[in-house]
Amino acid sequence: MRPGMVKLAAVGLLALLFVYSVLSVSWPEGDMDQLTNEEVGETMFGTPDKSGYGVVVLLVGVLLLVAMLGGVFLAKEESE
Amino acid sequence: MIPIEYWLVLSSLLFGIGVYGVVTRRNAIVVLMCIEIMLNAANINFVMFSSYHSVLHSVPDSSGQVFALFSIAIAAAEVAVGLAILLSVYRRYQTIEVDKINLLRW
Repeated sequence: MRPGMVKLAAVGLLALLFVYSVLSVSWPEGDMDQLTNEEVGETMFGTPDKSGYGVVVLLVGVLLLVAMLGGVFLAKEESE
Repeated sequence: MIPIEYWLVLSSLLFGIGVYGVVTRRNAIVVLMCIEIMLNAANINFVMFSSYHSVLHSVPDSSGQVFALFSIAIAAAEVAVGLAILLSVYRRYQTIEVDKINLLRW
């Protein structure tokens, strides 16, 4: 048996296990909510009477800046 | 109305496709793309569980959407660094085949 087929079979089994697990649970009946972008923004940045994830947004911004600087540093041409 | 199982099956299949790509493909860029597919499967779960939780408990809560946004931002950072590393590896070894790069092997 080719190694590729073994990997495909293993991943297929994994996906089948996932699907079987999902379908064997009796999930409650429900519908998706109708949240607006404004509500998502309020959750993210908070409102005067409810704190949000403002600090996390700042940290993610720092992470993106560091990743960009790191990417530029790693990708720049090395001088001989 | 889309039942919750459909979203879970979709995200499971996306995750399976991502795992299959990671374990079978040799091109490092394709491996990175498959990792992104796996992250998107997790994002679907974030949004879907948050959305259904709000409806079932009658509490408007969009934390899952916010977490999905954070996850997307972190995935972007990961891809930026990953592509830069691949660029550097290609300059040095003239290949990005993951089987031929043994830089970190001990």
